[in-house]
Amino acid sequence: MSTGTAPQGRTYVLGQFPTGAALVKACRQVREKGFTDVDTHSPYPLHGGDEALGLKRSVVPKVALAGALTGMFGGMAMMVWMNGINWPMNVGGRPPISPLSYIPITFETTVLLTSLSIFFGLLIMMRLPQPYHAVFELEAFRSAVTDGFWLSVAQAPGSDGKEAVRELESVGATQVSVVKESLE
Amino acid sequence: MGAVAGHSDEVVSITQARVGATGGALRWSLGLGVLGLLATAVFYFAGGPSQHATVLAGYLVAFVYWLGIAVTATIWNAIFHASAAKWMVVLRRVLEGIGASLPVFVLLFLPILLGMSTLFPWARPSSAMSAEELELLTHKAPYLNVPWFLIRAAIYFAVWLLVSDRLRRWSLKQDEVGGLEPTRHMRRLGAGSLPFLALTITFAGFDWLMSVDPFWISTIFGVYYFAGSFLSCMSLVAVVIALNQGNTTGLGGAVTRHHLYNVGKLMLAFTAFWTYCAFSQFMLIWIANIPEEAAWYVVRMKGGWAGVGIFLIVANFFIPFFTLLSRELKFRPRALAVVALWLMGVHYVDIYWLIMPALFPAGAQPHLAHLAALVGVGGVAVATALWRAKGHFAIPVKDPNLSYSLRYTQA
Repeated sequence: MSTGTAPQGRTYVLGQFPTGAALVKACRQVREKGFTDVDTHSPYPLHGGDEALGLKRSVVPKVALAGALTGMFGGMAMMVWMNGINWPMNVGGRPPISPLSYIPITFETTVLLTSLSIFFGLLIMMRLPQPYHAVFELEAFRSAVTDGFWLSVAQAPGSDGKEAVRELESVGATQVSVVKESLE
Repeated sequence: MGAVAGHSDEVVSITQARVGATGGALRWSLGLGVLGLLATAVFYFAGGPSQHATVLAGYLVAFVYWLGIAVTATIWNAIFHASAAKWMVVLRRVLEGIGASLPVFVLLFLPILLGMSTLFPWARPSSAMSAEELELLTHKAPYLNVPWFLIRAAIYFAVWLLVSDRLRRWSLKQDEVGGLEPTRHMRRLGAGSLPFLALTITFAGFDWLMSVDPFWISTIFGVYYFAGSFLSCMSLVAVVIALNQGNTTGLGGAVTRHHLYNVGKLMLAFTAFWTYCAFSQFMLIWIANIPEEAAWYVVRMKGGWAGVGIFLIVANFFIPFFTLLSRELKFRPRALAVVALWLMGVHYVDIYWLIMPALFPAGAQPHLAHLAALVGVGGVAVATALWRAKGHFAIPVKDPNLSYSLRYTQA
């Protein structure tokens, strides 16, 4: 009997909805019922989706600003050091440290580090790359990348998800499935 | 601000509103405008010949300042049609309204024609010029001569009036008859007119602004003038939104914080665009350091004008850019309107800084006539726009994308 309680994965209840608007509405209703770990999956961003999920304002802008400031000051400092201090050069009679002529490169390094920090910041925040997620267990869920609007409700490990199934059906899901997260 | 435009009863009340209660604003702007123009004329005639140049130059600054806003309103409108933008349908009447002031600028152009020989050195080559300068003017005479200048001005006005009038007329026609036909016409003209609008405002910048210093050339100058005007035009839209906030049955009831947010984002983007153009022009001339190009900047970087140049960098880039980065600010109509008024004020300084050093190289010589001309041209232009908007709907009530625009939200 007691072969040890093998750690169990979480239970996910997945419901499909006919339209994006229905998904957003259902998401709001499900969260109002007290389900906390809810997520929406749709082929494109849904208007009002953030509010329905109760998401706080993203920190991406702050990450971007940090990248921008690093790129700006870093780019300027790089050129001041290289052209002005490490290897002073007379270009067209300008002084070795000539900030005005550094501005185009400073602009470029600002844009570069901004975009890189957004790209890698997003990867980290979204925990990507993610080769496995419980929702992949359901074949029908693949439609989330083409024309399906899905709501997933995560339940504690071992849960049968019955309560969430009933809830999703009551808010208009066209099909509801329960999948278990595999820990292998 | 109409928070929930989705309720049918509210939509009905919005779509029944016509622009009517502008009587006070119309009277005030017309009164101030006429007063300002009269004061400018008094300064010109009572001040004697010594005042002619400063009064006329002040008038030219005011004229190109307001004209740029009116023309770029039509350009914004054409761009939105060309890109089939749906979110801004509720704001389209504002752009059409600003553009509807264009006819009065034909009349307002007359003083500039009459004062040409005072304003534009190429129109009066004199023995006081150096042999080199006279040679340059002779070289440029095929372009910079009075008849061709007049023909070009006529072409610019013809294009602007035609495009703004057609776009506005089809839009108003749709209010009555509905249907998709006007939308198709507007989109076709909007897209097709863009190259002509771009060329005319560029060359108008060359003719009316750059040629006050005919020995200097910059190919990006027209874009620079356009960039500042384009930004001021969107700023004016933000001001109009803020002014209409209490008016829940008209524009104020249809425009939500989401539209305002987009207006704020466009202001932020074109603050950066202005800076990009300004720096592109400056940097190439500064780094090449060729006397005939650099002279223009030397005047504006030395003496009394140096402070104005630094003010422009700080006031037209650093302050508005970092202020507009805030997301919360762009949701607040009053706060955004304050930034917008700031940008419009700085744009005036910008135009002033482009024109005045050609006549007064030592430094700015502020004159009451400059303020009078600014109020005069602006007042008459605003009055024209309000007068022409009277009796029409404040939003395009039968536009096929209106319901989308009313419900528009940021993702």
